[in-house]
Amino acid sequence: MKMTKIYEGAHQWVMFGRDENKPDNIIDSNQYIVRTANKCLLLEPGGTELFAPMMAAVLHHAPVDQITDLFASHQDPDVISSLGLWDQALSNAKLHAPALWEGYIRNFGCESIEYVPIPDNGETIKIESVELQIIPAHYLHSPCNFHVYDPQAKILMCGSVGSAFEAANAPVFVERFDVHVEKMRAYHQRMMPSNQAKRAWIDRVRNLDIDILAPQHGRMFKGDDVKRFLDWFDSLQVGTGV
Amino acid sequence: MNSQTKSQFIAVASITSELSAVMVVAKEISLAAANAKAIAFRAGDKAKGFQPITDFINELAKETIELVTNINVYALLLYRLTVNEYRRTAAYNRFEQVAKLATGASYADSMQEPISHAKTMMQDCQRQFKRDVTQLLGQLEAVMHHARAARVIAANSRIEASQAGEYLQSLQAVAESVDKAAHTIHDNVQRCRIALSIYRNS
Repeated sequence: MKMTKIYEGAHQWVMFGRDENKPDNIIDSNQYIVRTANKCLLLEPGGTELFAPMMAAVLHHAPVDQITDLFASHQDPDVISSLGLWDQALSNAKLHAPALWEGYIRNFGCESIEYVPIPDNGETIKIESVELQIIPAHYLHSPCNFHVYDPQAKILMCGSVGSAFEAANAPVFVERFDVHVEKMRAYHQRMMPSNQAKRAWIDRVRNLDIDILAPQHGRMFKGDDVKRFLDWFDSLQVGTGV
Repeated sequence: MNSQTKSQFIAVASITSELSAVMVVAKEISLAAANAKAIAFRAGDKAKGFQPITDFINELAKETIELVTNINVYALLLYRLTVNEYRRTAAYNRFEQVAKLATGASYADSMQEPISHAKTMMQDCQRQFKRDVTQLLGQLEAVMHHARAARVIAANSRIEASQAGEYLQSLQAVAESVDKAAHTIHDNVQRCRIALSIYRNS
């Protein structure tokens, strides 16, 4: 499992992904942690198959008892099907996930972890002194979906938006946006069902000060590529699967 | 899922399936008892010996239905325990995998507590499963006992039926149906016992 520190300040952001040992028929996904002095928030913990390498990788950054918070943008198995295992490993943790999906996500096993439902209009999560904004991203692609914005680190963890599928040895940041576009096009056209939802999200996100866009699959965007991505996504017709 | 876990799931699931068939048969016995009672009533003195037998058959059917209902509730608990044991075992195995992969990590040692807890929980589930299987086998034995009693009653019914003149055939048919039902119950419950016996407390 590749680990890349993407922000280092009073707190840290680390990206995990490109697991070389994952089974070929399981899609690669990115996981992130926000590490403060005594706590650790795990964003998009991943699927069951990924649990062991992911947990082992996190142990390079935080002890088990300091993994206090989990976040799931939506209900898909590649995002949160490992919940039942985290549930047995963590003795004092909270899962921040959409209120709408609570009854669904609990099917993965959620007995000891406290499910903290996120209301439709989002909220703020506080991890020690770090305040993270939970931004609504409904229908992108899940009908109830959220992204995480850290105004201090200027990182937007944008879930499925910006996703692409890459080889295990691919770089973690986009290097040539014009080439990368073709890796994203079909996914976004098919998985994002609503132009209206896309437009609402872009309007909201353009008001944020973002250095890094961090999707759940594929490469991250930084610097000028953030604006390039928003412009490209803005002009893309989505919901073409019908 | 390994083959032992699969067999355990199948064994527990088969109890519910076998017992639902037992339930149908027990209800048939109850119906046969009501039928026999009506025939014995019409036969009057000719089937005097048969009348108390019909009450006994009915009682036996009711008790079997009650027992099977209780066992089904217990079988459901056993199924939940099997699911729980599967989850605990899966977690323990994954945690062991984490420990191997985390060699050299700064906080690798912090995994020891979850591993130890998961192991305890898994072993508790395994012990509980064995205890519950032993109890369930005891309950199944009680149903077998009822099935054996029903066969004795069927034999007595045949003797009493032979005294019933023109009602002989009707009452013999009742005796046959009780005997057949008792056979079915015995065979189904025996299959449950065989499936479960490998998991009992030694």
